[in-house]
Amino acid sequence: MAKVLKKTTGLTGLAVCEYPREKLRIIYDRILRVIVHFPKDYVYRKAVEDLAKERKNIIEQNEDVAVIEQKIGQGQIEEVIISAQGELSLIQDMLSQKPWENLMEQAPPNQWAWPPHK
Amino acid sequence: MSSLLKNCWKLSRNLPVTTLKCYPKFLPSIRTNTTETEKPETRPTIRRITTDIQTVKDLGLYISGCLPKYVQKVQINAGDELEILICPDGVVPTINFLKYHQNTQYISLSDLTAVDVPSRKYRFEVVYNLLSFVFNSRIRVKTYTDELTPLQSIESIHDAANWYEREIWDMFGILFRGNSDLRRILTDYGFEGHPLRKDFPLSGFVEVRYDDEYKRVVCEPLELTQEFRKFELSAPWEQFPNFRLAAPEESKEKDSSKEKDKK
Repeated sequence: MAKVLKKTTGLTGLAVCEYPREKLRIIYDRILRVIVHFPKDYVYRKAVEDLAKERKNIIEQNEDVAVIEQKIGQGQIEEVIISAQGELSLIQDMLSQKPWENLMEQAPPNQWAWPPHK
Repeated sequence: MSSLLKNCWKLSRNLPVTTLKCYPKFLPSIRTNTTETEKPETRPTIRRITTDIQTVKDLGLYISGCLPKYVQKVQINAGDELEILICPDGVVPTINFLKYHQNTQYISLSDLTAVDVPSRKYRFEVVYNLLSFVFNSRIRVKTYTDELTPLQSIESIHDAANWYEREIWDMFGILFRGNSDLRRILTDYGFEGHPLRKDFPLSGFVEVRYDDEYKRVVCEPLELTQEFRKFELSAPWEQFPNFRLAAPEESKEKDSSKEKDKK
């Protein structure tokens, strides 16, 4: 059953992926390779690493795409591929932005007070 | 015989005295019960908060932990609406993070607007409302700026931002750096000023009318026809009762000085 390819994802502009498992595994491998450049105790690094490892495990343990989709639980596997690609591009952006540093600019006093301060 | 019957019928129609009409009572039990016993409201007018507050709190802490460089404050407004208050330089990285991170995925920009609070150092608050389809949740990102400091446009991340930023430029006069098409969008050709600023008068600055002499529509500076009346140009409803005494003080002083000169 796993080899029967579905005809459509039912979503506009989203084509059916022929080898979703391989593609997804490659993306998660790349994510795990790039994420090493972040500082070790950074919350984002931990979250992304855990998620990528967990999903990679699911992909490796299961052959059937339907089972993988059910275990990941975020819609069709093509959508998961898109979100993983987005994550990869985000990691590359964040490496140049360095958002783990200290706060750039403190808010001026009473900036966020509501109702507004006199 | 038939004519007699007809006459009788006509008479009965014309007679003013009519028999009492009796309407059948449909479901009389409901009618009586509504007033007597109070049922618990099934559809209350106030929205009941059903979302789990703890998850909202955790999400806020998680986002601020991921972006400590930009996030100044995280708060929950109106019960369960998560708000992230960031510094103006962090707009693009924050929105980018919220869109592409797998645990957030705020793909849709549902609204982008601004608030004018003249008493603050940075008078404009810019508000981004985002929606995540995957997790069925909404988030609000707020930042601040003033009349002269441009904000970075998020058009490269959300295409929808193009028109929203044009609207904000038109209504508030906030500049966006990197927007490909920053023109007016709502006001008329040749309009001057930004109407949603608090210092914009209710009547506007100019008046448009048809002139018989020129045979065309002319645009002139506003002239108020009644001479001896003091016009209150601020809004008739009090947006901010705290500012009740703020502005008119100056104008009163000027008026009194003029009167002294006349004397």
